[in-house]
Amino acid sequence: MNNKFDALKDDDSGDHDQNEENSTQKDGEKEKTERDKSQSSSKRKAVVPGPAEHPLQYNYTFWYSRRTPGRPTSSQSYEQNIKQIGTFASVEQFWRFYSHMVRPGDLTGHSDFHLFKEGIKPMWEDDANKNGGKWIIRLRKGLASRCWENLILAMLGEQFMVGEEICGAVVSVRFQEDIISIWNKTASDQATTARIRDTLRRVLNLPPNTIMEYKTHTDSIKMPGRLGPQRLLFQNLWKSRLNVP
Amino acid sequence: MSGGSSCSQTPSRAIPATRRVVLSDGVQLPPGDYSTTPGGTLFSTTPGGTRIIYDRKFLMECRNSPVTKTPPRDLPTIPGVTSPASNEPPTEASQNHLRNSPEDKPAGGEESQFEMDI
Repeated sequence: MNNKFDALKDDDSGDHDQNEENSTQKDGEKEKTERDKSQSSSKRKAVVPGPAEHPLQYNYTFWYSRRTPGRPTSSQSYEQNIKQIGTFASVEQFWRFYSHMVRPGDLTGHSDFHLFKEGIKPMWEDDANKNGGKWIIRLRKGLASRCWENLILAMLGEQFMVGEEICGAVVSVRFQEDIISIWNKTASDQATTARIRDTLRRVLNLPPNTIMEYKTHTDSIKMPGRLGPQRLLFQNLWKSRLNVP
Repeated sequence: MSGGSSCSQTPSRAIPATRRVVLSDGVQLPPGDYSTTPGGTLFSTTPGGTRIIYDRKFLMECRNSPVTKTPPRDLPTIPGVTSPASNEPPTEASQNHLRNSPEDKPAGGEESQFEMDI
């Protein structure tokens, strides 16, 4: 299952699995409808802050996904692949979830935590994400738990100051490295993406040489996660110059 | 109109209580022209309306609220994620991770919290 090649092709964070699905599977449509069905059938009753709790600007939903070792992603149903953990509306409710979940550094295998605004699915097909993109930060092993905590606290506390632009955050546990990313709605809005980058630097306390990459979801769709990190850096340049798919 | 008169009667208020934020590093200053203060501004008003802003320190303090000690009622059981991995007995280490972040040491008296987990 996990080998060097596996790690290399994992340039991506979070939506990697869906890309693969989309590009390799003929009956992707069918799976997508099942997906939608499973979403809408999971009835949500409105989550509200409890008395004396501190409300958040938005409600958020925790998700968890994991790739089953040895099985191609395409054969997995969406429900097996990603699971809603729950939705919260206040700071206290957030801690109730967070304190009873393992920290990302202690996850095993090829797995992700996603924390998205309620109503936004952690996938690029969602209306909120389809014109969006994400900042990606690769972390050497041992840093993910701390960075993830700082990232989501900044998101929940509205530290990014980009209006409605933030969609959610992902931490992806991979073989040789971990990846955190934060997704926003409008990839073409450079003022927003710059502000998100600057806030990331501030709240994560990253080592100065940390590389941050911005990747649009349309690039993720066209060039699913099979590129090594070095090539990824040049991906946007190629695309705009040569119009390669 | 009544709306106009009530509007004109709005009393003036003192500037909200200030708070002190210690900066160890210029990097913590918000870049550019943001209308925010270092460390965040609680209930600041922006053109899009009032936004609820919390800084990290405040959020961390809320973690100690008693309500956070019990898991949400509808927390799904996912072995290795929201409960110990099913195929192996929980180690001391993994139990610790469920309860505590690395930076805070076990405070003691938290045993019951974990046992209510499932």
